[in-house]
Amino acid sequence: MASTTFRFVIFINVLFCLANIAKCLDNPNMLFNKDTSDNRVMSNSYREIWKKRGLIYNFAISDLKIRYRNSVLGFFWTFLEPLLMLTVLYVVFTNLFKSQIEHFPLYILLGIIFWNMFSRGTSMSLSSILTRSNILTQIYFPQEIPAISSTITSFLMLCFELIVFGIFMGIFQFMPPSTIILLPFILLLEFILVLGLSLPLSVLNVRYRDIQFIWTVVLQVGFFITPIFYKLSILPSYAQKILYFSPMVQIMNMVHDVIIYGKIPTSESITIAIGTTLSVFAIGYGIFLRAKRRVMEEL
Amino acid sequence: MSEVAVEVRNVSKTFRIYHERRDSIYEAMAAWFSKKKYYENLEVLKNISFSVKKGEMFGIIGRNGAGKTTLLRIIAGIYKPDAGDVTVNGSLIPFLGLGTGFQIDLTAKTNVIQYGILLGFKKKEIAERVNEIMKFAELEKFADVKLKNFSSGMYARLAFSTAVQVDPDILIIDEALYAGDMAFQKKCFDTIVSFKKRGKAIILVSHNMVPIQDQCERAMFLNGGMIEAIGNPDDVVEQYKKSMFPKKE
Repeated sequence: MASTTFRFVIFINVLFCLANIAKCLDNPNMLFNKDTSDNRVMSNSYREIWKKRGLIYNFAISDLKIRYRNSVLGFFWTFLEPLLMLTVLYVVFTNLFKSQIEHFPLYILLGIIFWNMFSRGTSMSLSSILTRSNILTQIYFPQEIPAISSTITSFLMLCFELIVFGIFMGIFQFMPPSTIILLPFILLLEFILVLGLSLPLSVLNVRYRDIQFIWTVVLQVGFFITPIFYKLSILPSYAQKILYFSPMVQIMNMVHDVIIYGKIPTSESITIAIGTTLSVFAIGYGIFLRAKRRVMEEL
Repeated sequence: MSEVAVEVRNVSKTFRIYHERRDSIYEAMAAWFSKKKYYENLEVLKNISFSVKKGEMFGIIGRNGAGKTTLLRIIAGIYKPDAGDVTVNGSLIPFLGLGTGFQIDLTAKTNVIQYGILLGFKKKEIAERVNEIMKFAELEKFADVKLKNFSSGMYARLAFSTAVQVDPDILIIDEALYAGDMAFQKKCFDTIVSFKKRGKAIILVSHNMVPIQDQCERAMFLNGGMIEAIGNPDDVVEQYKKSMFPKKE
C-alpha cells in the first residue's frame, strides 16, 4: 500500500521536474524574465559558462590553495586534514557508541565524508558571490560561476577524503565489494543536489544576509536527520516515511549499500533519489534565475 | 575603419534606492505586510544612444554620479539595461578597476596568471607571456615577491601590463591610467595610441580633461543620466566646464 503511494508521488515528481528542466533549458526568458530585451546576458548563458570553464576550475583550485596557504605542509594538508579528522571521529564514535552496525567505523567515516561534501559545498557557495563581489562588479562573467566553482571545490575535497578513506579500508583490511563501481553515479547525484541548492543560496544570500545563519541551523538539523551514525531503521516508522523523501538520506543509504554492504540499491530508492535530486535542482535553478536579475546591483 | 565597435541604443537604467535596506528575511516579510513602498526608483540613465567606431577613442565626462560607471558596466555586460540594447562587436576588456581580483598573499607571477585567466586567457597562453608582462611592467626583479609588498604604482603597472596583453578589440578605461610614474604613463599612452592605430576602439572615462582633449576623436558629456553634449571633444569639454562653474565667465 505504502509503496504504491510512494511510486505515485515519485512519478508525479519526476514528471514535474522533467517538464521544469525542459522549460528552463529551452527558454529561461519565457519562464522567469518578463522583459525579453536582454538577450545578451540570458540566452547565451550556457554557452558562456562552458566557455569560461577555465575560470571555474581556476576559482575552484585557488579556493583549495588559499585554504592551506602559509602552512608548512601545504598541499599535504588536503590529505592530512581529513585523516586527522576521521581518526578523531573514529576514536570518539567507536568508543562512545556501542553500535550494532556492521563495519561501524567505515559506516560512520563514509557518512561523514559524504555529509561534508554537502555541508561544505552549500555553505561555501552561500558566500561565494559576496566574497567575489569585487570581481563581479568589474568584470562580466555569468553569475552561475561562483556557485559552480565552490561546488567543484567541495567535490575535490570529497575526492581527497575518499582517498583517505581508502587508507582506512586498508587499515581495517576491508575489501570493497564489486558494487563500488556504482559510486560515480552517486557522486554525480550528490553533485547535482549540492549545485541545485548552491545556486539559489549564492544569490539569495546577497539580498537576505540572514540566510547564512538559517542555513547553519538547517545543516545542523540535516546532520541529525540523515543516517550518518545510525541506521534509518532505528527511527519510528512515521519519521522513516518522511525522511525517505530526503535526497540526502537516499544518497547516504546508497553509499553505505554500495561501498560497505555490497548491495545494489533498490529501484525504488534509486527513483526517489533521482526524482528528489532533480526536483531540488529544477526548483533551485528556477529561484536562481529569478533572483539573479537584480543581484549585481545589490552587491 | 568606419565599422562600428560599440553601439548603444536608447539605453535606460533605473536603480532602486531603498529607504530602509531590507537585509533580512524578517524585514522583507514585515515590509510585505505593511505594504509601504520601501524603495524609490532612481533613473540613472535616460535614453542614451551613441556608437564608437573601430580605431576611435571616445571620451566620457560628467560629474560624480552622472551615470558614467553605470554606463560602462552596461557596456561590459555586468548590469543589464532596463530598456534599449547594446551591441558589442569584438572582444571587450572592461578596465573598470585595476587589478581586480589580485590577491595580496600571492606572488606577482601567480597574480598575473590569475588575472589573465579572469580576463579570458587560457592558463597555458598566459603562462607563456608572464615574462613578457613582467618586462613591460618593469617588474622583472619582483616576479616572485608577494603582492602585499608592492607599492600602489607597481600594483597598477602590473595590472595594466597584464590587461593590454589580452589584446582586446575594445578597451574600456575608467581613470585607470593615472597610477604609475610619468615614464610609465607615457608608456601606457603609447600603448593606447598603438591600439588605436590597429583599429581598436577605446572608451575612456576621465575627470582629467587633458587626455580627453588630446587623445579622443569624440567625447560625450553625461549630465544627470542624459547626454548633454556629444561630438568634438573641445566643444564638449567647454560645455562641461560651463555647467560645472556656471558663474565663471
